[in-house]
Amino acid sequence: MTTPYLKPLPEKAPAFQEFWDAMANKQFTAPKCQSCGDWNWPYYPNCRSCLSGDLVWTPVSGRATLFSYTIVHRAGGAFGADVPYVIVMAELEERPRSMIVLGNLIGVNHEDIRIGMPLRVAYEAIPDEDVTLYRFEAA
Amino acid sequence: MPFPSRSAAVVGVYTTKQGKKLGVSTHQLEIEAIQGALADAGLTVADVDGLIPLSTEATYRTMMQWVEQLGGNPTYLESASPVGGIAKATAAIAAGMANVVVLFWGNAHASVGAKGAQQQQGAKASSVRAPRVGDMHWMIHGAYMVPWYALWTQRYMHEFNVPQEKLAEYAVIARHHATLNPASLMGDKGEITVDDVLSSPPVALPLHRLECSLDNEGGYALVVASAEVARNCKKKPVWILGGAERAFTDSYSTFTADWLNNSRSAVKRATDIAFEGAGVTRADIDVAGLYDCFPVTVARDLEEMGFCGRGEGADMIAEGHLRLGGSLPTNTDGGLLSNSHNMNPGGMHAIEVTRQLRGECDRRQVKDARIGVVLSQGWSVLGLAGTAILAAD
Repeated sequence: MTTPYLKPLPEKAPAFQEFWDAMANKQFTAPKCQSCGDWNWPYYPNCRSCLSGDLVWTPVSGRATLFSYTIVHRAGGAFGADVPYVIVMAELEERPRSMIVLGNLIGVNHEDIRIGMPLRVAYEAIPDEDVTLYRFEAA
Repeated sequence: MPFPSRSAAVVGVYTTKQGKKLGVSTHQLEIEAIQGALADAGLTVADVDGLIPLSTEATYRTMMQWVEQLGGNPTYLESASPVGGIAKATAAIAAGMANVVVLFWGNAHASVGAKGAQQQQGAKASSVRAPRVGDMHWMIHGAYMVPWYALWTQRYMHEFNVPQEKLAEYAVIARHHATLNPASLMGDKGEITVDDVLSSPPVALPLHRLECSLDNEGGYALVVASAEVARNCKKKPVWILGGAERAFTDSYSTFTADWLNNSRSAVKRATDIAFEGAGVTRADIDVAGLYDCFPVTVARDLEEMGFCGRGEGADMIAEGHLRLGGSLPTNTDGGLLSNSHNMNPGGMHAIEVTRQLRGECDRRQVKDARIGVVLSQGWSVLGLAGTAILAAD
């Protein structure tokens, strides 16, 4: 019997259904305004540039740059078993609005982590749950 | 329209015992703080006609319960960040909407640490099923307040080529001040060095335990009253020369990439407005109380407030300007690292500066302190800030 995944998972609210559906197909999407063309990560119900409500979850390249990172040594709940783990702020390459995505960095030795290093989105299907989470790995 | 300088004053302040497991309820802490601050002013609850519960999540329902609890006396209600509340109370008083406004806070259970973050979101650890949280919630990635500020610290050090030792010096200064404050939580633990700070257990690197805020219970209250009331209070009024509250971005969610080079930060705008309204300059400040949840916060406060240039805050710390005896004695009570962090502690800095301007600080007294500045902030200087300029006479 495998150990169940007990860390917090997204509730999959209606506004995010398309995002998680695309994630299940290993495609990271971000809200793109159909009126002015601006990207809007994280999701707000209306475009932060023009207030249009016409936002469509649109595929991005998945290429990103490491903006900042932390190596977490103390954590509550089920994350306590994972320490030390790495959280990064990954800046996606899409513009004009800078989109920084918070996520865990996987597969990189801690001493090799550098601000500015190229990253790409990785996908982790959570066993026995209806969620595929995004992670980041070295590109 | 200019800020109504000297229309109102801080006339009463009070801090309950701060610490872990105080054995009282949040409500008891709030009542004790309200009554204590009124007694400090020589006023009673019958004099209170304005109320500012210091929680950005206080609803009108909560406030109405407080109106009822306090015998129906308060009739003017406002919600505010702690120091923003001082500015708003002054504006309300100048506009004739209130005469005596009480700002208060108490916390007897919540925690901002690794465990508390999960409890607050109702995501208690389960042995059978993963808890579900908001779709964009940072808890999905194992983040909480310390990792968030660690990310910021890391980027700050990178962007401005700052060695961590310079930031860590803030924890040393805060502890030194705490040793001179008998009410502080950490004062009796004694002085620490930069080596102690950087060799303390890692929490979320680059941050170590001694670079993190305390996480405790406690309450406090401040009374702001009109000039007329203030002149007849028990203690010397501490006049409010200028103040403002400003908001900018939901930066805990949006993580704006230009967070270190943003001319629209809440701290910058609130502080510029406060100084302009007060008619004094940065050089006139004798004592400061600046929000200091982590050393990087203080460095960024100093920069956004215009006490130094961007990227120079860590130098200002390392050069000793913030120490008692320095050019800008700051957080003389030990601040959030060594005095108390009771979940919403932004008003504690205003209380300490008030005590400094009254000359009540004994061994940690800043000699001849006449003008002080206080800052409360959240969302990493960009998001929400309140600044006030206070004067002894």
